[in-house]
Amino acid sequence: MADVTLENITKRYEDVTAVDDMNLDIKHGEFVTFVGPSGCGKSTTMETIAGLTTPTEGKVIIGGRDVTNLPPKDRGISMVFQNIALFPHMDVYENISFGLRLRKYDKDEIDRRVEKAAEVVQLGGMMDRMPDEMSGGQRQRVAIARAIVRNPDVFLMDEPLANLDAKLRVHMRTELQRLHKELDTTIIYVTHDQAEAMTMSDRIAVINAGELQQIDPPLTCYNEPKNLFVAGFIGSPSMNFVEGRITDNGFESDDVNIPFEPAAYNLSTGADVTLGVRPEDVYLSRNSREAADPTPPLTAYSDVLEPMGNEIFAYLKFDEEAESDMEEGVMPGQLLISVDPDTDIAEDQEVEVVLDRAKTHLFDTTTGNAITHQIAPVDTAGASGADAEVGSGD
Amino acid sequence: MAAESHSDTEYGRTGEEEPELDRGPIEAWAARSIKNPGRVYKGLFYTAMIAFLLTTLFPFYWLFMVALTPSGSLQNIILAPSTFDPTLLAQGDLTMGTNPGAFVEIFERLPFHRYMFNSFVIATITTVIVLIISSLAGYIFGRLRFRGKSPLMLLVLLVSFFPPAAFFLPLNRLFNRNIGVLEPILSDGSLYNTPYAMIIPFSALFMPLSIFILTTFYSQIPDGLEDAARIEGTTRLGALFRVIVPLSAPGVATAGVLTFIAVYNEYFFSRLMTDPGADNWAPIVRGILGYQGQYETLFNLMAAASIVGVLPVAILVVVAQEKIVSGLTAGALKE
Ligand SMILES: Nc1ncnc2c1ncn2[C@@H]1O[C@H](COP(=O)(O)OP(=O)(O)OP(=O)(O)O)[C@@H](O)[C@H]1O
Ligand SMILES: [Mg+2]
Repeated sequence: MADVTLENITKRYEDVTAVDDMNLDIKHGEFVTFVGPSGCGKSTTMETIAGLTTPTEGKVIIGGRDVTNLPPKDRGISMVFQNIALFPHMDVYENISFGLRLRKYDKDEIDRRVEKAAEVVQLGGMMDRMPDEMSGGQRQRVAIARAIVRNPDVFLMDEPLANLDAKLRVHMRTELQRLHKELDTTIIYVTHDQAEAMTMSDRIAVINAGELQQIDPPLTCYNEPKNLFVAGFIGSPSMNFVEGRITDNGFESDDVNIPFEPAAYNLSTGADVTLGVRPEDVYLSRNSREAADPTPPLTAYSDVLEPMGNEIFAYLKFDEEAESDMEEGVMPGQLLISVDPDTDIAEDQEVEVVLDRAKTHLFDTTTGNAITHQIAPVDTAGASGADAEVGSGD
Repeated sequence: MAAESHSDTEYGRTGEEEPELDRGPIEAWAARSIKNPGRVYKGLFYTAMIAFLLTTLFPFYWLFMVALTPSGSLQNIILAPSTFDPTLLAQGDLTMGTNPGAFVEIFERLPFHRYMFNSFVIATITTVIVLIISSLAGYIFGRLRFRGKSPLMLLVLLVSFFPPAAFFLPLNRLFNRNIGVLEPILSDGSLYNTPYAMIIPFSALFMPLSIFILTTFYSQIPDGLEDAARIEGTTRLGALFRVIVPLSAPGVATAGVLTFIAVYNEYFFSRLMTDPGADNWAPIVRGILGYQGQYETLFNLMAAASIVGVLPVAILVVVAQEKIVSGLTAGALKE
C-alpha cells in the first residue's frame, strides 16, 4: 500500500517560503493533481515527496513509513521531471533501463520490461538513439518510460505532457489513465492544463503561494470552490467577481443587487462580500428560462464579443460610457458571459441579464473564504420585511 | 610608385573587370591578397604553425640524432651523425653507420625499465588518488551550497601557491623518522626509499589544480540529472560516479593527464626522498642521470633513455588528446 501523507510540510529557502505548512492525505491508488500559478511550490512539494529536498519542517509518510529522512532510492517512487533530465551520455535503452540495471535485474527481465514501457509511450525502434538526437516530445516519452518501467508504488509527474503535440497529449493522457488503473499505483501529477487536471484526477489540489487552498474532486473544486483563489483559478475563462456588501435586503454593489435573506447565511449587515458567478451561469434575460432560478434582471451594455464557434464570450459593462479595456481579463464593472453561438447579440447593445441563483457564490471579501455556493430567493411569505423585488439594476 | 599603387587600388574597386596593368610581381601579389584576404591568413597560419613545430620538434629530432651517434663522435653531428652514410646500406649495413644499439644498451647498463616502472607506478597511483579525492572535493565545491565555501576553496588553492621546496625539509624529516605504527608494513618503519614518500606529497601538491578543474566541470552538470539518477536508485555518490563524472569526462581526462605527466617527470622531490638505486623506487630522471659516470658522460645513452622514457606519456596524450583538447578549451557541457 502506498498512501502518501504530508504532515505540516514547510520548505523555506533563504528568503522565500516555497511550501507553507502543507497537510495532504493521498490514498493508495489515487490520482491527485497539483495545480497553481507558476512558482507556487508545486515542484518543491514533489521534490519533498521524492526526497530530493528535505523539508524545513514536517513529515513525509509513504505507505505508513516515515520517509522524511530516507534518500529517494528507498522511497519506492519514480518521477518524471519538469525539465525531462534524460542522461545525455546514454541511449534510450540505457536511459530507460538505468534503474533496473542498478537493481541488478537479469537481462531478459530488463529487456522485457523496457520493451513494454517503450510500447506504452510509442517509442518502438528508437532504442539506440541518443537524447540529443530526439525531439522534445520523444525525450519526454523516454522520461515517462523510464519512470513507469520500475513499477514503483508512487509516480510523481511534473508536467510530463508539456512538450507533446495536442494529439499525442490526448493519447498519453488516456495511456496514463489506463496505466494508473492497470498498475494500481498512486499518481501525483502537476499540470498547467486545466482540461488535463479536470479529466484525469480523482482529486485536484489547488496551491497558491505555497499554501494548499483546497483538495477535492475536480467538480467539487469547480462547483464549490473554498475561496476566492480557487474560484478564480479553476475554470477558463475564470469566474466573474463583483465586490459589494450586505444590506438588510441582500447583496448590494454599484452595479449588481441581489435580494436574499442575509441571516440565512449568518451574514450581518454591512459585511464586505464578493459575489462570484461563472460566465456560463449568466443568461440573457430573454432566455432566462434556461436559468433554473434566475435573479432579477440587471441592465448592462455589450462590449467586445468573442465568438469561439461552440459559444460566444460576451464582455458586458455596467456603465455605458466606460472605456473597454480587455488587457487584464475581466475588470471591475465588467461581466463576462458565455452565450449560445446562435444568440442574437451585437456589440454596443443594451442587454438584460440574470444570474442563476443555484450557481452564484458569495465570498467573504476580507478572508476570501466561501460563504455559500447558491443564493436562495427571498421567501415571499418571508420574515424580516425584505422587499422581494428590490434593486433590479439601476 | 606610391601614386601608381594608389591608382591601382582605385581601379580595383571601381571596375568589375581589372584592367591589364603593368605591375611588378609583388604589387600583383598585394592586389590579389587584398581581394582575397583568406589566402593571407591561411599563409600566416601555416608559417606560424611550421615555426612552432620546428621549435618544439627540433629538440626531439636532435635528441634522436644524439642517441644514434656512437659515443665517440658526438661532437660532429651536423643534422645527422657524422658517421651516417647511406651508401653503407648497399654493403648490407642496415644501420648505415649509426648506432641504434644505444636503445638496447640503456637497459644493459642500468635497469632502466625499472626506473620507468617506478615512475609509471608512482604516477599512476598518484593520479588515481588525486582523481578520486578531487572528484569528491569537486562535487562538494561545485554542487553543494554551504557556508564558508569560498574561503575553503581559497585555502585549498593556497597549497599550490607555495613553492614545493617549502615542504621539503619537514617532509624529509618526517619520512626519515621511524614511525611505530608503520613497522608491520614497512621493514624499518620509515617512508624513506618507499613509493609512499613520493605518492603522498605529490598527491597533496597536485590535488588543488585537479580540484579546481573538476569543481568547474561538475558545477556545469544540470541539477536535474543528479536528481534523476538519485530517483532511479543511486546514492549521491553513485550519481557522482555514474552520471556526473562520465559527463565531465574531458575535465577528468585533463586533470588526470596533467597530474600523470607532472608526477612522471618529477625529479626534485624524488631525488631527495630516495637513494639512487632503481630498487629504492628512484624515478625515471634519476635513471637518465645514472648514465653520467664519474669519468665519462654517456650522452648518447641519456638521449636514448629520454626518448624511451617519453614514449608512455606521448602515447597517453595521443589517446586522451581529444578529451584533453575539449577539456582545456570548452569547460562547459553542451546540453
Ligand atoms: N533551490 C531553490 N532556492 C531558492 N528558491 C527556490 C529554489 N527552488 C525553488 N525556489 C523558489 O520556491 C518557489 C516555488 O518553486 P517551485 O519550483 O516549486 O514552483 P512551481 O510551482 O513548480 O512553478 P512552475 O509551475 O513554474 O514549475 C519559487 O518562488 C522559487 O523561486
Ligand atoms: Mg515546477
